Amino acid sequence: MGLNKSRPIYQKLQLDPQGRAHLIVTDLDALPEDVIEADLALSNIESWVVARAAPGIAASPPGSRAFRSVADLLSHLAHHLAREPVGLRLYAAGTEAFLWDVANIARAAGLSQDEVFLTQAGSLRRRVYCTHCKSINEDVTTNIATCRACGAHLFVRDHFSRRLAAFMGVMVDAEMPGEIPAIEVIYP
Amino acid sequence: MKARIENIEPLSATIKRFTLAPEAAKLFPAGAAGAFILLEIPGPSRVWKNAYSLISGGRRETYEIIVRRVAHSRGGSAWLHDHAAPGQLLEISEPANLFPIARAAQNHLLLSAGIGITPFLSYLPVLQAHNLGFELHHCCKQDEQEIFRPLLPNLPNVTLHGSRNSLDLTALLSAQKLNTHLYVCGPEAFMDGVIAAAKKIGWPDAKIHEESFGGATGGAPFRVNLARSGVALEVASDQTLLEALESAGLQPPRMCRGGACGVCELPVLEGVPDHHDHFLTAAARAAGKSIMTCVSRAKTPELVLDF
Amino acid sequence: MNISLKPAETFRGDFSARNSDAAILRFPFPFPEDVYMYGVNIEPHVRGGPTAAYDAVFDIDEHYLGECEDRALTLIDDPARCQVLPHMIEAEWDTLELLMESLATDYPDLFNLTKNRTAWRWQNRPLGIDHSFIFGAAQSLPCPPFEYITRQVQGDFTLQDQRDNNLYMDGGMVTSQADWSLNFDLGMSFHEWHGPVPVAHELGVFDRALAYLLRLQYGKPVRRLNWTLTVNPRLDTSPENYPLWGPDKATVTPEDIGEKMCLRVELQTLTRLPRSNAILFGIRGYLIRLEELVRVKKYAKRMHRVLRDLHPDIVEYKGMPRYRQMIIDYLAPFDDGEILSSGTAPDQTRL
Repeated sequence: MGLNKSRPIYQKLQLDPQGRAHLIVTDLDALPEDVIEADLALSNIESWVVARAAPGIAASPPGSRAFRSVADLLSHLAHHLAREPVGLRLYAAGTEAFLWDVANIARAAGLSQDEVFLTQAGSLRRRVYCTHCKSINEDVTTNIATCRACGAHLFVRDHFSRRLAAFMGVMVDAEMPGEIPAIEVIYP
Repeated sequence: MKARIENIEPLSATIKRFTLAPEAAKLFPAGAAGAFILLEIPGPSRVWKNAYSLISGGRRETYEIIVRRVAHSRGGSAWLHDHAAPGQLLEISEPANLFPIARAAQNHLLLSAGIGITPFLSYLPVLQAHNLGFELHHCCKQDEQEIFRPLLPNLPNVTLHGSRNSLDLTALLSAQKLNTHLYVCGPEAFMDGVIAAAKKIGWPDAKIHEESFGGATGGAPFRVNLARSGVALEVASDQTLLEALESAGLQPPRMCRGGACGVCELPVLEGVPDHHDHFLTAAARAAGKSIMTCVSRAKTPELVLDF
Repeated sequence: MNISLKPAETFRGDFSARNSDAAILRFPFPFPEDVYMYGVNIEPHVRGGPTAAYDAVFDIDEHYLGECEDRALTLIDDPARCQVLPHMIEAEWDTLELLMESLATDYPDLFNLTKNRTAWRWQNRPLGIDHSFIFGAAQSLPCPPFEYITRQVQGDFTLQDQRDNNLYMDGGMVTSQADWSLNFDLGMSFHEWHGPVPVAHELGVFDRALAYLLRLQYGKPVRRLNWTLTVNPRLDTSPENYPLWGPDKATVTPEDIGEKMCLRVELQTLTRLPRSNAILFGIRGYLIRLEELVRVKKYAKRMHRVLRDLHPDIVEYKGMPRYRQMIIDYLAPFDDGEILSSGTAPDQTRL
């Protein structure tokens, strides 16, 4: 069976020449070089990273603004978008759960799909939603994961919800309890 | 469905408000904000089908529309002004909507000119009822202010501009936050100007909504050959391709009659179409293999269509 | 329309639900030919069709009380089976108006609606409801309008918001689904919520279906059929409760397959709503046990052929691998190779 069509497909980021201002955010400590085709002629570009100089203290990388954690960055993002005038374009690069947390904050701030651009970089680890108990399981790297809340053995599907920013997990051994396929790390 | 003209109220020498009541059923279907109906207007030699925005919002007991007598009218609006009378029955379509309020949006900026105010008149009750943030700026000619002023509510976020100069478009657009959707309705030149100004400051396409008023009214005559029907027709200069097909007794697909919905699209086998629609992508237009019969015409003397 | 309602039977636990002869003859059989493949297969939704299940705009049948009860139980267990995003409030009222008007028109013995401008009175005799409320004022109803009315109608419903040249599933009452999750799929676009369906994407089925639905007109609803197989006449085959019904699939034997294995058909309707410009998607489900279905000779033979020759990806997607052969073996004795009529009508008026 082919890839589930709800699963997002990512492309390299390209700065939109129609934009008045550009904000690039990542959950990594630096923007990976190969994720963005930056037109250096465009001005008004700001970049945010997650990097610490010491516990609880943000680093000061040149050319970027650093945040102490992903939660810190996302909190600032919501605040920033509420005050920005029209014309901003927002770009995000990093782990998939981070991308869609950014997208949801952007959507709540009223941005449309024309204004937000996402690309996956770094780890492929997944946020998995347990369909049976509604819990979120972060940082799943395997094809089958045990729900930390209710204990169900979940097959990690490719069906993806942008609203929940998570992949769907459904019990793998409901029909024959205990019959679980080999567990492999496929989202390192 | 049949509607009875209940009332005709002149708002100016060239603008009239019509009130229509349902003839058979007791209630009309509710119209959405931004919806339009088609009126079948009986002329002496042909029937016109003109689209008019409902200004009466979701009211089901009656519909209200505003008709401007178009100076070089092909007949429809002239007939309504000169020959329509209360008590007459007209065939009208059920409401359709190609210009809805973006209900998931947080803030709505409405810009209109002239008769383009009409869809926004149906927006206002909905925006107010649901407490949605909005601003309305309406532009009209100096001497038409007293026609439009009574139609608009007296609110701080509703402004009537008696001349284009009193509206500082760039300042207004630049002051908007990221959560604002822009809606434009009016003559093509007005809409083109607003949209160009918005795009210049980075307004994204997904948050620009336009209602086209006054599409192509005619052009050079041309021949059309219908490959499957085995019929050849002349399209006169004052009729659309769609009207020519219908006058010949054919039943091509159609809905909005304004080049927006895509229903009337027919495949082009030979000839070069002259596109006036708002539906085809740039690539589709360049390929020239489709035509919207309701508004588009021909660049070549003849078109062959797969119909 | 006159129908006699059965006292509430169960669609869980002891599964007492059974179809009367009339219910079998009106069943919306989904296979017009001996071979099944995905297609857009949409047609106008008019009153009337191959069986009596198509006679009303929204079909009420003998199982009404049992299905309403089953929905109420599912909602107690999991209220997230009914959710509507806030911007869809107009679509909620559109739905309430449409369902109340349709039911009152098609079943005047069961339902009554009187209106005095916005002062409405709704009477649902089978459920003993007599409620006066203000149309448009949510506080005059005991729960939000969409939930209020869909609790009183058979079948699931979803609300599609039309924007950005796409449809977004921004609301739903989903308690009798064939294995999809409202809580997970809420907010998805047309291609996203159809993501898991195999084969059809490559055929361009969803591209064409979306283009068609974006142009759906008010006053011109359409319908299509969908089908799957369910063990026991269980309405709630949600992924949420898969741990409860999943094990049933492995318990079927050749001896009890006639009683336990059910053909599940969805009569799906798509209706443009007036005020919101949204699309109401109705998913009206019907369950029939194989031993009931085979009493219609045409259905027994055709179903044998369809399942025997079904595309392997579809077999997989519809969760059938475990028992497909058992069903084929059960149906084979009924199939004498007779040439069957095209279309889905039963071709017999008595069993």
